[in-house]
Amino acid sequence: MIEVSHLTKRYGRHCAVDDISFTVQDGGIYGLLGPNGAGKSTTMNVITGYLSPTSGTVRIDGHDIVEEPQEAKACIGYLPEQPPLYTDMTVAEYLQFVAELKGVKRKSEREAEIERAMGRTGLEDVMDRLIRNLSKGYRQRVGIAATLLGNPKVIILDEPTVGLDPAQMIEIRSLIHDLGETHTVILSSHILSEVQAVCDRVLIIAHGKLIAQGTPEELAGKLAAHGMISATAVGNRDAVVAAASAVPGLTGLKVTAEKGDEVSFTASSESGTDLRAALSKAMAEAGCPVISLSSSTISLEDVFLQLTEASPEEAEPVSAPEEKAGQSADAESNTSPAEPEQPAQDAAGETPAKDDEKEVQ
Amino acid sequence: MLAIFKRETRSYFTSVVGYVIIAAIFAFVALYYAANNLILGSPDFASILYYSVMVLLFVLPALSMRSFADERRNKTDQLLLTSPVGIPSIVLGKYLAQLVVFAVPVALSCLMPLSMALFGDVSFLSAYSAVFAFFLAGAACIAIGTFLSAMTENQILSYLSTFAVLLICYLMNSIQTLFTTGNTMAFIVFCVILAVAAVLVGLLCKNVLAGSAVFCVGAVVLILLFRLRPTWLLEAFNHVLDALSLFDPFTDFVGGMFSLPGIVYYLSVIVLFLFLTGQALERRRWN
Repeated sequence: MIEVSHLTKRYGRHCAVDDISFTVQDGGIYGLLGPNGAGKSTTMNVITGYLSPTSGTVRIDGHDIVEEPQEAKACIGYLPEQPPLYTDMTVAEYLQFVAELKGVKRKSEREAEIERAMGRTGLEDVMDRLIRNLSKGYRQRVGIAATLLGNPKVIILDEPTVGLDPAQMIEIRSLIHDLGETHTVILSSHILSEVQAVCDRVLIIAHGKLIAQGTPEELAGKLAAHGMISATAVGNRDAVVAAASAVPGLTGLKVTAEKGDEVSFTASSESGTDLRAALSKAMAEAGCPVISLSSSTISLEDVFLQLTEASPEEAEPVSAPEEKAGQSADAESNTSPAEPEQPAQDAAGETPAKDDEKEVQ
Repeated sequence: MLAIFKRETRSYFTSVVGYVIIAAIFAFVALYYAANNLILGSPDFASILYYSVMVLLFVLPALSMRSFADERRNKTDQLLLTSPVGIPSIVLGKYLAQLVVFAVPVALSCLMPLSMALFGDVSFLSAYSAVFAFFLAGAACIAIGTFLSAMTENQILSYLSTFAVLLICYLMNSIQTLFTTGNTMAFIVFCVILAVAAVLVGLLCKNVLAGSAVFCVGAVVLILLFRLRPTWLLEAFNHVLDALSLFDPFTDFVGGMFSLPGIVYYLSVIVLFLFLTGQALERRRWN
């Protein structure tokens, strides 16, 4: 389990990560989503101990990354944006080196682990080739194989599919999906569809701030719930507005055009239910027949862009409503080896998560 | 540490770098050996090492330049620094691998006094203590180079700065004779050293204010000393220059003196610069 609380990282005056808090439970695939320069890589670099936080703490399985770096780092396998490969080594040599580096002591154990990692990432065919001569897709796989060594609980992948061709991208995604069954995986991406396809939970980061989190469905449901209705009715402007405002659940009424008797307006339906029928009925009862009515839902893509492109002040924080339910479900579905202190840890993990919720809402 | 040491050593020997360095050092030692000991028939092996020290200035920076600069440029330092390995182990692993490469030509030159013994009397004690000091001096050069390599991601910069520092250390004796004449000279040189130190502090802390503060405080102290106790300045200046002449203790060994302070001096230089290397790596994580 990873607990990030009030993490801030500044480079001089530039604030790359600004007071981010979240908790990653064991099991499942987490996605950090945000445009380039949002602070995803910095967040990951701090979590893995490559950079030190300006303030705030990161605890991995209860080990603080600053206080007990070695114990904390032993729980993590990290693949940075540019795979840290020594190109003058063969794949087998490199994995051997990484296994030793991760402190896999016994030779037999090391060999078994390397074999398993190569099997999972499909590297057997290239094991004796120099890394220098491998394609980008294979290099990425070598990097992923290296993260598996030392059997860490958590695997952190920074933009794992960047720069790959579509076929390689699909391969790596299915590989990540497989990894999610045995490890907790955190990956970052700026591609929404990728995160939606692969991840169980999504954290959206923009301008160094965490602006939304939840399962993709929750986020999609919540965000797309800002459905827009645009309608044109015949009648007096005031009467139309009065009738439309009377419809329960309809907010943000705005008259967009008036042409003769026809009044066009837009409104948003907060709750996510389709209010077209109710609106039509209400208008008919008020004596303002509706001559056109359409509803459009904002796609997740639109909302993502809207959220991440807004300046930090404007960005409206969104939080999935069933966040707590989702978390406890995660905890229940956690199938990693049962540890006696697991429930206690979960309980402890709940507190920062709740703090989050308050902040975000 | 062992993993890093093994990888580094192998990488020096799978690329051509290790062999070139070994060949360059050994070729120079062998050249002097052939000229002095074999052709001229001198029984003094130590003095050829004294001449060969010059080649260390050129070659050892090439050995140490890639140690950290290269890792940083290729971003492989991310692997090392996110693995459950402490920074001291990383520094030590890399340093020891460089020592192994340097030890090869030194070990090879150990055979030379033996071959000389075939032709006459050779003082093995003085020859081998000189070889030992030669190795220590080289080890100190590598430590300095490792530190400078950790300061940059540009190998060329790393090579040039190490070469410059070693050259200044090598020429320190002649520089010293230029400066013993006046207090003003000492003052000026101290100001320059202070300026360099201030720039280094500023760079290490990434803080202009800290660098300027160091410079201002240092300048005030220097000016006060220069006005009130000019002789102190001169003495201190000479002590500093003595400490900077990296190859002086080695010359003692060549002269046939086994000097314990010399060994302590080299070991302190090595420890100091490896410590600074660790600090430089640590520092980078905070900026």
